[in-house]
Amino acid sequence: MTAPVLEMREISKAFGNTRALDAFSISLEPGTIHALVGENGAGKSTLIKVMMGIHQPDAGSIVVDGREVTFRTTQEAQAAALAAIYQEPMVFPDLDVAENIFINHHARPAFVRWRALYDEASAVIKRLGVSVDPRRPAGSLTLAEQQTVEIARAISLDARVLIMDEPSASLSDHEVRRLFGIARALRAAGVAVLYISHRLEEVFEIADTVTVMRDGKHVSTRPIADITEERVVAEMVGRDMQGRFKRMPSAQTGDVLLRVEGLSRAGAFHDVSFTVRKGEILCFSGLVGAGRTDVALALFGIAPPDHGRIEIAGQPVTISSPAVAQRHGIAYVSEDRRKLGIAMAETVTANITLPMLDSYCGPLGLVDKRAESADADTFRERLDIRAADLNMPVGTLSGGNQQKVMLAKWLNTKPRLLLVDEPTRGIDIGAKAEVHRIIRDLAAQGVAIVIISSDLPEVLSLADRVIVMREGRFVGEFQGESATDESVMHLAVGAAGRGAA
Amino acid sequence: MKGSTFIDRLATWEGFLFLVLVLLILLNALSTPFFLTVSNQINLFQLSIEKVIVALIMTLVIINGEIDLSVASIMGLAATTFGWVFQAGISAEWAIVIALTIGIICGAFNAFWIAWAGIPSLVVTLAMLIAYRGFARVLVEDRGITDFPEWFDSLGQAPILGPFPLSMLIFFTLLVVLFVVLQRSAFGRKLYFIGSNRDVAEYSGVNVRRIKATIFIASGLISALAGILFAARVGSVRGDIGVGFELDIITIVLLGGVSIFGGTGTITGTVLAILIVLNLRNGMALANITGHLQTGALGILLILSVMVPTIRDAGQRLWRTVRGETG
Repeated sequence: MTAPVLEMREISKAFGNTRALDAFSISLEPGTIHALVGENGAGKSTLIKVMMGIHQPDAGSIVVDGREVTFRTTQEAQAAALAAIYQEPMVFPDLDVAENIFINHHARPAFVRWRALYDEASAVIKRLGVSVDPRRPAGSLTLAEQQTVEIARAISLDARVLIMDEPSASLSDHEVRRLFGIARALRAAGVAVLYISHRLEEVFEIADTVTVMRDGKHVSTRPIADITEERVVAEMVGRDMQGRFKRMPSAQTGDVLLRVEGLSRAGAFHDVSFTVRKGEILCFSGLVGAGRTDVALALFGIAPPDHGRIEIAGQPVTISSPAVAQRHGIAYVSEDRRKLGIAMAETVTANITLPMLDSYCGPLGLVDKRAESADADTFRERLDIRAADLNMPVGTLSGGNQQKVMLAKWLNTKPRLLLVDEPTRGIDIGAKAEVHRIIRDLAAQGVAIVIISSDLPEVLSLADRVIVMREGRFVGEFQGESATDESVMHLAVGAAGRGAA
Repeated sequence: MKGSTFIDRLATWEGFLFLVLVLLILLNALSTPFFLTVSNQINLFQLSIEKVIVALIMTLVIINGEIDLSVASIMGLAATTFGWVFQAGISAEWAIVIALTIGIICGAFNAFWIAWAGIPSLVVTLAMLIAYRGFARVLVEDRGITDFPEWFDSLGQAPILGPFPLSMLIFFTLLVVLFVVLQRSAFGRKLYFIGSNRDVAEYSGVNVRRIKATIFIASGLISALAGILFAARVGSVRGDIGVGFELDIITIVLLGGVSIFGGTGTITGTVLAILIVLNLRNGMALANITGHLQTGALGILLILSVMVPTIRDAGQRLWRTVRGETG
């Protein structure tokens, strides 16, 4: 074994109360492809950001070639021969390929020698074993080709460590092949590649070593030959909190409220069919980007489907806007509180009443402020929203309380069908338990509930039924008890092995 | 929760504007005995009445997160339309109706590109600033049209209720209506939400397009009204009526504390800014300061208005640091 080029030793990093990285260690050796796997939120992104100087670790050390270093900026990380490429390539669309490749070369003469630039660019691209015309504007390239440009940029800077964060997420099979070719060429050239992917079959095809991380901690590092897919999945999900989120006995469910048949939207999801009953909690599980949110947005009128049928209480409906969805009794609680959920600068009360604002108005269109305060107050008590003054901007509350305000806003519409996207993302354990309680209460009152969650323990503790999505399709369904961490994860990552009916 | 003290209230931008205003009025009143007379104050307003009327509706446009650069050109186009059809033999009453309709059409045209085609209002209304002005100049070249009926000319001057002429009554009415719209109505609430976070409003079922369209149509109508009032006040119509007014109008609104990014601001702030600008100009005029210098002073005030939140935040940070070190 050769000496590692990059070592991360006992790195810790916390954001508020969340420990994103907890004494995590990993070391990368030249000429190897090292895969890093873990669930959503395991801390992979934070690790990359620490490696690339975007975040500074709270504790631990970064060692390059045996010397301890600190990266205060991305430039310093690049100077130490580290480079990263991300799922969404970052290229300048109006500059051509060669300009994009050499964009970070600072020590250049004042005048560009174009011929030399293009020759060099061609040479770098050729080393990757692919062909892209260096004179084409980067914006005209496919996503995969843009990625190649990014890799070429890293190589031209003599990167010795290349971090690839979900590089295959938006590539076709054929393009993934080419990417693997590039990765192998880099390995042969002695580059240490850190390959991050959700797709286990890819990891097992390309990687030499695999490290599993969970909840910010290092779980295991093994040569790929010494571990099976089954084992990796078990290590990704294996939690010591089995009893903590105990499943509640499922409530009595009623008639079918929502029936979806053959719903498709190009590029998002394909041939999706399911039903939800009154009082039932249905969970959509799967990885980020599997198309779960897109299905919810189709039902809420944000991005209507191309094909398929939607029936509410037996009536076929066309949902063309959120206002129409609301009229059918559908509410959607977004995963992105800041951008889509609530307006931070507006008051708690105004946020809660916004969807129903017209119902607080007299014939002149003036808002009855007393009625609206009374309703906001009711929700403050019912959901235990901790706010001293409901006329304060909602941005002044804690994340958990903001989440409850967002829920209150939609409960105020008295929905028959509640779509909740990542109901507890970024809130603390206490608030999480309360949100779960609220959701169960609603189901008990006969509201049909669809939860989209990447948090497996949450799915398993709430769901009467679990549907697993992968790459825009339904790949499996579990009735309450039959869903386990491992069975759901298997389907979500597309690992070979057991699937369930 | 601490109660809002007098100091807290002064710490708002409106409080600061109020202080500046009191100071200005005091200075002006001390320097000349004529300043605080009713006729001087009304005269002050009269000289800029068209701008301040449009500033009221511009407040709503900017709170909504948009901008309307075409207001002054709509003023010009409405005024010239009025003059042109009047000259063609139509009665002044009908000419007013036609001119106001032109304002609505201009506003609706802006609204179409902004609300439905999704083109930024900065671009659309900049283009229309040029286009509407072009039409105005084609309709009435530099000669100018005069000889309107006596009742029309007196619209702009003659007091009709106490000491107030019609244009001021229109201003006060609009002020009250828009104040209520912004503070109390569902429409106003949605306006703030759209300016504050358009996606949140859309996801909440707010008909964003309809509200944006309404605002631009209202802006067109009120600009047209202002154009007609201008014609009545000066007693003639030319193609260059109101050229450059849009910048003064937007300056007033921003000075009043309306964020150029939308979502915040009040009619009260705009009214305070109007009073400050008028009194500043009047005071400087009385002190024999030239118009160009007056404009310069306004520019500095505007930069201050943008910087005050930054300065206040920096001050608070400094204060915390000092306290942190000593305590």
